[in-house]
Amino acid sequence: MKRLYKNFSALLALALVFVGYNTFAQATPKGDLSIAINYFVDNNTVPSLLVRVKTKANGRFQPVEGVTVNLFLDKDSAGTAIGRVTTNRKGEASIFIPVSVKKQWATSVKHTFLATFKGDKKYEEGKADLTVARAKIVLTTADKTITATVLELKDTTWTPVKGVELKIAIKRLGGDLPVNETPTFTTDSTGQASADFKRLGMPGGKSGNLILIAKVEDNELYGNLSVEKTVNWGIKFTPVNTFNNRTLFATRDKAPIWLQLISYSILFAVWGVLVFLVFNLIKIRKIGGQV
Amino acid sequence: MENSITDEKIIADLLPQKFGKAGKIWVGVLTVICLIGLFAYYRQLRYGLIVTAMRDYVSWGIYISNFVFFVAISLVGSLITAIFRLAGVKWGAPLTRIAEIIAVAAIIFASLIIIVDMGSPERFYYLFTHGRIQSPIIWDVIVITTYFFISILLLYYPLLPDIKILLRFKQKSGNGLHKFYNYIGSFWQGTPAQFKLSEKAINILCITIIPVAFTIHTVTSWLFATTYRPGWDSTNFGAYFIAGAFLVGAGAVVVAMYVFRKAYHLEKYITESHFEKMGRVVVLLSLLYLYFNMNEFLTPFFKMKKSEEGYLNGLFSGDFSVVFWFAILIGIIIPVIILLFRQGRKPLPMFIVGIMVIVGAWFKRYLIVTPTLLNPFLPMHDVPASYHHYFPSWEEWAITMGSLAGTLLIITILARIFPIIPIQETLTEQHEKAI
Repeated sequence: MKRLYKNFSALLALALVFVGYNTFAQATPKGDLSIAINYFVDNNTVPSLLVRVKTKANGRFQPVEGVTVNLFLDKDSAGTAIGRVTTNRKGEASIFIPVSVKKQWATSVKHTFLATFKGDKKYEEGKADLTVARAKIVLTTADKTITATVLELKDTTWTPVKGVELKIAIKRLGGDLPVNETPTFTTDSTGQASADFKRLGMPGGKSGNLILIAKVEDNELYGNLSVEKTVNWGIKFTPVNTFNNRTLFATRDKAPIWLQLISYSILFAVWGVLVFLVFNLIKIRKIGGQV
Repeated sequence: MENSITDEKIIADLLPQKFGKAGKIWVGVLTVICLIGLFAYYRQLRYGLIVTAMRDYVSWGIYISNFVFFVAISLVGSLITAIFRLAGVKWGAPLTRIAEIIAVAAIIFASLIIIVDMGSPERFYYLFTHGRIQSPIIWDVIVITTYFFISILLLYYPLLPDIKILLRFKQKSGNGLHKFYNYIGSFWQGTPAQFKLSEKAINILCITIIPVAFTIHTVTSWLFATTYRPGWDSTNFGAYFIAGAFLVGAGAVVVAMYVFRKAYHLEKYITESHFEKMGRVVVLLSLLYLYFNMNEFLTPFFKMKKSEEGYLNGLFSGDFSVVFWFAILIGIIIPVIILLFRQGRKPLPMFIVGIMVIVGAWFKRYLIVTPTLLNPFLPMHDVPASYHHYFPSWEEWAITMGSLAGTLLIITILARIFPIIPIQETLTEQHEKAI
């Protein structure tokens, strides 16, 4: 009996170890995802959405790659599906609003975008939404003064909006350069914000063209709006490319003439002497043959 | 009659001799080293330059050091043959052939080692089809080819009268060598017209070889000096390289003089006086090279620019300090001290000094190439740990040793085929003395 008790105890202990191990193995928690939708309208053309997916790891938000998110317009149904996107290395994915939801888009001046993630082995399901009002920026210029007007669609008319913060800048390769010392502007009761162009002497390519840009960034109501306009306010700049000149650093056919003259002269002179000496040998050989 | 007995004695003394037991062992050992080098080169061709320790930063390693060493040593041909001849230095006559043989052997392996360094050998062909005349690399290719050709001619022209003598000794030379002598020099009859043409040609060669020799090593130095790197960004490099080249070449001649003198019993022809005089030449060249070294290192050391600090400290007191001070002390300073004493200019001390100069010079070339590449202006960032150091792989060592052995093998074979001291010139000198 004692022996049976001992064996039973041992079996029970073993069973507990296995159960405990399996319990811990299954208990690895899934991560939570933070999904954010950003709305963009560039140059008053087709709007686009940018989805950012992050998760908290080691106390910091890290981008998550490879997460597939379904996007809908106003309601989660097949008829209003914008599309399915998968995040890249930066945890980002973008999509233009497709023609398939044009009808739904036209029904209202405000829309809600829905993003849903069904969940997978690593992450719990997640969702996000963003509501935006349809708006646009109109950019006009006159005598080195730039005016940006922010308009919101109300019913069927574009109405000026007061108090919207925006940037007016010159678009450059490395980023946007403010047109003067004021970093941001706010629209007045007419929906307008004006800026004086003070970046005189700015290089503007071969034709002197500069690209002006007006931007509303991360606005709670309107999302991200931007509009560009090309103006001829820059200095004409024709780049001088010396690569095709005759230089020491050019390709072989562009070797400087003086270098070619000197080097080939030396080469021909020295090898001329050597050829002469070879003929000299032949001469010596001939003399030997005559003796 | 007395003259003819002396002549026959001179000829008998100076005729090429068959290898003895030691000679055969020497050739055997060199051949084995060459074969190991060839196997290592096969591995490099098979697997690529990855078998070497050269990586992104140290892309020029022991091969280029060896190349610079060979180019340097080849300059001795112009020093002993041309400069001594044009300057009327008569005592140097018995040493001319030794110098020319060393020059030819060294320049052959300088060309070969540069092809080895390229990785795939067909890249050598691309140098001609795609090379730019603006590049010092192309200048180097042109100048090395030219120098090789001049050295061959400078070896060949003075050989012609000796070949006529060699052809008289068919039994001693054997059938194969006799045929070879016949092929390359049977036309030489020793007529005044032939002598006149030959003398003229040798004079032209002596004049031509000096600027070409200076160019070959100056251009080699420009391979470094035309790039903007710590230690290489120097206007002193051309003269610094030439001075070092003459020193190592003279050291090589001293070593060869001693070895040939011992092996072929040439004490009557390569006398203690020759060692005495060569000793003085080596002292002069050592001091000259020391002067250029001071120029090369003292002024940068005084300024200690931030960008060159790592490189200079590495040489003076860091990872390369042992090799650096070895090269300076053993390769330059101690030879000068030994040779300042008359006893130091005797054959055996001179031989030891010659070895010291050559070994010091080889390490000096290594120091010219590698430390600079390990200390770029922009600090190494985010690279594998192996990129921070360079120590040649066994394949690199084997190929390098194989090339050094190959040079010695060529010198040995040429000394077996041709008289190591010009016979006809020695006879003429004897006759002049008798008159």
